[in-house]
Amino acid sequence: MTSLPVNIEAIDADVAVLGSGGAGLMAVLHMARAGPRLRIALVSKGAVGRSGCTLMVQGYNAALDPKDSLELHFADLLRGGLFLNDQELAWILVSNAPRIIEELEGTVGCFFDRRKDGRISQKPFAGQSFDRKVYRGDLTGLEIMGRLRDQLSRIRPLELGDVRALDLLLDESGGVSGVALLNLRTGAAIVLRARVVIVATGGAATLYRIASTAREKTGDGLAMCYRAGAELRDMEMMQFLSVGLVAAGSRLAGTLLEETLRIAGAHLYNGRGERFMARYDPDQMERAARDLVVRASYAEIMAGRGTPGGGVLIDISHFGAEEVERRFPTLVARTRQIGKDLAREPVEIAPVAHFQIGGVIIGPHGETSIPGLFVAGEDAGGVHGAGWTGGNGIAESTVFGARAGDHAVAVAEGRQMGRPSETLAGEIFQHAFAPLRREHGPLPFGLTNALKNVIWEQVGPVRHAEGLMKAAEQIDRIAEQITRISVPDPAVANYAWQEALDLESQVTVARTMISSALIRQESRGVHFRSDHPQRDDENWLRYVVVREGPDGPATETRPVVLSRLHPDGR
Amino acid sequence: MRPRVSLEAVSSPKTSGATKVTGLMHAPGLDAGIPATPIRVRIARSDPSAQQTFEVERTNPMMVLDLLLAIQRDHDPTIAFRYSCRVALCGTCTVRVNGRPVLACQKAVSDDWEDIRLEPLSGLPVVRDLIVDMTPFFEEWTRIMPYFVPVGGLAGPALIPPDALERRIIDPARACITCAACYAGCGMVGDRRLFLGPAALIRAMVLIADSRDDAGAERLRAVSAGDGVDGCHYMGTCTAVCPKDLDPAGAIRRLRRWRLTARQ
Repeated sequence: MTSLPVNIEAIDADVAVLGSGGAGLMAVLHMARAGPRLRIALVSKGAVGRSGCTLMVQGYNAALDPKDSLELHFADLLRGGLFLNDQELAWILVSNAPRIIEELEGTVGCFFDRRKDGRISQKPFAGQSFDRKVYRGDLTGLEIMGRLRDQLSRIRPLELGDVRALDLLLDESGGVSGVALLNLRTGAAIVLRARVVIVATGGAATLYRIASTAREKTGDGLAMCYRAGAELRDMEMMQFLSVGLVAAGSRLAGTLLEETLRIAGAHLYNGRGERFMARYDPDQMERAARDLVVRASYAEIMAGRGTPGGGVLIDISHFGAEEVERRFPTLVARTRQIGKDLAREPVEIAPVAHFQIGGVIIGPHGETSIPGLFVAGEDAGGVHGAGWTGGNGIAESTVFGARAGDHAVAVAEGRQMGRPSETLAGEIFQHAFAPLRREHGPLPFGLTNALKNVIWEQVGPVRHAEGLMKAAEQIDRIAEQITRISVPDPAVANYAWQEALDLESQVTVARTMISSALIRQESRGVHFRSDHPQRDDENWLRYVVVREGPDGPATETRPVVLSRLHPDGR
Repeated sequence: MRPRVSLEAVSSPKTSGATKVTGLMHAPGLDAGIPATPIRVRIARSDPSAQQTFEVERTNPMMVLDLLLAIQRDHDPTIAFRYSCRVALCGTCTVRVNGRPVLACQKAVSDDWEDIRLEPLSGLPVVRDLIVDMTPFFEEWTRIMPYFVPVGGLAGPALIPPDALERRIIDPARACITCAACYAGCGMVGDRRLFLGPAALIRAMVLIADSRDDAGAERLRAVSAGDGVDGCHYMGTCTAVCPKDLDPAGAIRRLRRWRLTARQ
């Protein structure tokens, strides 16, 4: 049985960055430029630059072409977000994306694909009314992350890989003074003091039974900001895609095919062999809007008309095997990997959680209501409104990561080095180490499964009040069991222990999602209430804000400020 | 729940690593109602008193990563292994299966496998069980100056046609996910640290070929030193084990040619 660590290591930095994806690394890049003498600590739960989802990104939307315009990209963003977006943040995204692309090329060394005339090539992407997707083959995310990570060899921040952030540490005035960390490789406890903390850890799509995301995305950043008193918004908004591979119990479940298959002419069948889209959109059928197809598939599955594996079937084999292999080689290979063949047969898919749209409320530079705390990337809320579209998430991370980095330098210079309370830090570590010290209790794995099933069933693409309240109760029961988890030694590289800690973050985030979903009594974008199925612009051009209250999540709504564009085009 | 069985002939050689005939599910014997035999997995453990041998029920599909997760969930929660993206992009799940470095998330458990050995990557310090410390790998990587150094005075992204020679050299070589399979497979890196290694060298080649980068000459000098290209002994294991189909061995040969032309 592990005893509580007696030695707590101490590290001092000017700025701590939590998360090493697109947002975190852009923040580091910009801070190093704006403040070369700044001490930067980069904390990553997984491997630095090799965890999270930026790696998987398929393209980056930027209005580069003279025939394109910022106004058009902005309008696309708001249309995709059903006008729930924070218009100032959305404008910042579209107006900075072109500059960041140039920086990624010219400074970071990304080598995006070219047109014949040598200019950067741009392709269509769903939800974009102009072909503005910048890409590098189908490895755009790898290109961006690989080159950003290589810049770390030049910048040389203090890299704390395999180090998990447990909680933010605040000083008496309520501003940040640092972070309590856990070194996963050694089991050591660390207090990192910092003047500024940038949280960029990514969302909690792993809450769902099937998720496309990397395993680290358990909402740690969201949970710790929430506990620190920050306000979150749009927590009822979780983006699903319709084309997650069902792969029985394999961890490959949730890897993606492409929505473009449907646009190309693929058919969708339920477990009875029916082309079920006829029930939901007889005109467009499988070419209906992505979120409608998600809901339709989900409804079929929940009504018991899914496949035995709990999905629906996508079938493009009627094109002929050669044609499918020629047009979709990567997707065919992906299905063959799980023993299926997209070129020759129907393949089982299901709606998959992909991107957490909601998050911490930020200002134009990523600043929050907590002095010294910045948030950037998927952890932040407001940019995408009620719906995300591909190519905008990476734009958000890199644009706002850069801005947070630029601004953090000046803020750090204006703040004192904090004096985190030792007692509080001690309590945080005591809590974190508890599963190792308990002699008896459940392992985390069954609880993880239970949580994912509850969230899938009640907080999925289709929700209703009864189901949400049931979910809240079920989560309370799961949360109680989490407090009793016991994992065996050692503390070194103990991923059963880490799963127990992941569960705590996930439960915290889940509660904010349920509370917010209950409040929003209308349907908009990815949030669909079967008991309130209409969109209600008259009453619901409002966003849901949630923060930690004395009895759990406390919610309120605020009006969307239509500062630049009105839904009817004004 | 098992996915529905396709009764079409699945003739792609990429399915599950075993040759398929007609209509069989991937785990032998299931369609006859007889349970498939479990696979025996032997894992190199850091703690000699920890369980080393496991009998794991087969599922379908099943990657080595799924095996490890099943062991963690059903047999021994202390087993230590890494993964993140499970789509061959993060490069963190590399392990040795029967001596050969593979990505655990991509390597399918073959029906023919009855007894396999899992070990951590060779040539790198072991943290615990199958988790290694990648620090030495990244130290070599850093030594070739892996970061882009822009040529000054460029206004905007360089105009480079897609079929330019440099693109034809760079494009097949850029998908490195720093999984260290090549490094672990190479006999020359590791404890003796006398060779920069295939991953660092292919990265160097990509940057040297890039006309937008200004530090090519310096990098070429770095890889021409004694522990650079001359450390390669033509074993070719790197190219053979790369899960992204890169050709570090070819890159090293190219660097040798460039070294010659640079001197002339």
